Amino acid sequence: MTRKEIWVIVERNEDEIEDVSLEILGKLTVLAKSSGYKVVGIVLGTSNESVLRDVIRYGADKVILMKHERLNEYSNDLYSKVLFDLASSEFPTALLIGATYYGRDLAGRLAARLRTGLTANAINLKMDEEGLLVFGVPAYGGKIMAEIVCERARPQMSTVRPGTFTKFFDQDRKGEIVEVIPDLSSIQDRVRVIERKVTKSKDLTKSERTIVGGNGIGGDLSMVRRLAELTNSDVGVTRPLADKGLAPRDLQVGTTGYSLKSRLTLILGVSGSEHFTSGIRDCGTVISVDIDKESEIFNHSDYCVVGDVAEIVPAVIKKLEEKR
Amino acid sequence: MRNIIVCLKVVPKSENIIFDPVTKRLDRSKAENQINEADKTAIEIALRVREKQGGRVILISMGPPLFENFLKLGVAMGADDAILLSDRNFGGADTYPTALVLSTAIAQIGDYDLVLAGEESSDAALGQLPGQIAEFLDIPQVLFASSVEADAGKLRVRRRIRGGHEVVETSLPAMVSVEMGAVQPRFPDFKKMKRALSQFHLTVWSSRDLGLREEVTGNKGSFTFVRGLSEITPIRRKKVFIEGDVAEKSTQLAELLRERQRS
Ligand SMILES: Cc1cc2nc3c(=O)[nH]c(=O)nc-3n(C[C@H](O)[C@H](O)[C@H](O)COP(=O)(O)OP(=O)(O)OC[C@H]3O[C@@H](n4cnc5c(N)ncnc54)[C@H](O)[C@@H]3O)c2cc1C
Ligand SMILES: Cc1cc2nc3c(=O)[nH]c(=O)nc-3n(C[C@H](O)[C@H](O)[C@H](O)COP(=O)(O)OP(=O)(O)OC[C@H]3O[C@@H](n4cnc5c(N)ncnc54)[C@H](O)[C@@H]3O)c2cc1C
Repeated sequence: MTRKEIWVIVERNEDEIEDVSLEILGKLTVLAKSSGYKVVGIVLGTSNESVLRDVIRYGADKVILMKHERLNEYSNDLYSKVLFDLASSEFPTALLIGATYYGRDLAGRLAARLRTGLTANAINLKMDEEGLLVFGVPAYGGKIMAEIVCERARPQMSTVRPGTFTKFFDQDRKGEIVEVIPDLSSIQDRVRVIERKVTKSKDLTKSERTIVGGNGIGGDLSMVRRLAELTNSDVGVTRPLADKGLAPRDLQVGTTGYSLKSRLTLILGVSGSEHFTSGIRDCGTVISVDIDKESEIFNHSDYCVVGDVAEIVPAVIKKLEEKR
Repeated sequence: MRNIIVCLKVVPKSENIIFDPVTKRLDRSKAENQINEADKTAIEIALRVREKQGGRVILISMGPPLFENFLKLGVAMGADDAILLSDRNFGGADTYPTALVLSTAIAQIGDYDLVLAGEESSDAALGQLPGQIAEFLDIPQVLFASSVEADAGKLRVRRRIRGGHEVVETSLPAMVSVEMGAVQPRFPDFKKMKRALSQFHLTVWSSRDLGLREEVTGNKGSFTFVRGLSEITPIRRKKVFIEGDVAEKSTQLAELLRERQRS
């Protein structure tokens, strides 16, 4: 028998919990309330009590700590082993993971080992009359949403796209904390990390004002950065710029990057391919500059400026600098 | 290096897919098919590993007979062999039976050191198949790779993580999924293309060739089910054009930016 529990794998960097894990918990507080499911956060590694308390404050009814030093850093081999062992003895009805690089790395192997269904990058989560989860996932470059269900196996598994759901917080929320010490003596990590290079960049899904540069900016982001500084905005890019290494992938907007929810978005030299425009759907005001008056991007814009960014942007920068 | 196996999917170009709001079905008849972009990157990486380390590059794909010519395109890029896994029973597969069929074929080919795939397909874009294949083959995996180097029985891979990258090392055999565009795929060679179309004999394996029972493949072997499709319609925007010369346009643009910043 499966338990009326929905599990969330809580991803964290030491004491800092990934937003997407908290967003999933937030969404589940709403879903679970109406359906009588218990929300359980799974934390791996050694952890401060405060992190576990936070998982509860952000919406979990219960936290399971899989306590082991070797779990402090993500490892596909170790995480899939302990989560398989736990899930196959506790039988949760669903298991959700943030669609981060690590989360997506883990999900496939874990689902295969559990012999269950998996869907990816959910942007919508509902429960039908039978209590079955219905996952909404974007397909075909983000223009179609497919509703996926997993009827004949448990847990129902999905990864969830970052920035999709809203967090919940209740300082006084109470919950149970359970510690499990997994046996890792027989398992080896077959992948060894030799080098890690991480720079902290802005979480684009939270950006209020964004300026996005595309191929039309001519391979140099300095102008875009200056304009962003003057208008207190964050910088985003299209995929080709991230591919060329002009900006990290974390600043990429679109189906294979992040979705914006900015109040104000300025788009410079972007052709408006579907893979890109699916990432600006939830934006407030959108302004675009493109040299081609037929550019598709204008169909996705409130204000359209036909012109060369190499002329327009410096002129705008000058105007803003003058009036500071 | 022993065999280098590349998993390849043929996908419709998303631009030409039309959603019929009445039947709630997709019309793919106008959509041209192509090799999934990330899989072309995977082929290129395989060819580069072969150039340095030797070995044979073998392409495999599970799909209908229409995939044949795309496998031949891969042969014209330089792959040594290609196998199509095709059977009426394979239809309607979700990732689980797809991974099962592919991993059974990989095990049957045998003698492999490296299995490559794209990071994700452009149609369903799940990215979960490579991890499932690795699980069925019980080999280590490195996903979202941007460079792959094999040396002395080891693999050194640079992979994408949140905020940057990691360089990791793993033993062989291993499964690696590669980022679309990590390297520029070469064009199919014209002479090789002619040969691939006229002389190359594509191997086709059915469920019987793989020794897989009907219940574990295709629709029957799947756990997930597409219950419905809907269109994510672009929201209607004002589309107001700002007119004038450069000075006028930039003045108005600066105004808009300033005004909206305050509100
Ligand atoms: C599976 C898959 C996933 C993808 N995921 C993403 C994604 O997540 N995000 C993404 O962005 N793309 C993605 N893409 C790529 C996408 O399809 C487009 O190729 C890409 O968005 C184009 O980027 P762009 O608009 O910057 O460049 P281009 O298409 O080259 O457009 C440049 C624009 O700039 C204009 N321009 C040129 N010069 C000037 C000038 N001097 N002044 C003003 N305007 C000028 C041109 O008129 C044109 O409109 C994906 C593709 C695939 C196949
Ligand atoms: C709209 C839609 C939604 C879907 N939703 C789900 C779902 O939620 N869960 C689910 O399990 N399935 C789902 N499927 C089915 C799934 O797309 C297929 O099972 C597919 O064969 C594997 O998934 P993928 O293309 O997403 O693989 P991905 O994991 O995105 O592909 C990664 C790589 O695996 C390789 N690969 C993928 N397919 C093949 C193949 N047939 N032959 C050889 N190599 C291949 C390629 O190298 C590819 O780049 C969906 C399909 C559609 C059209």
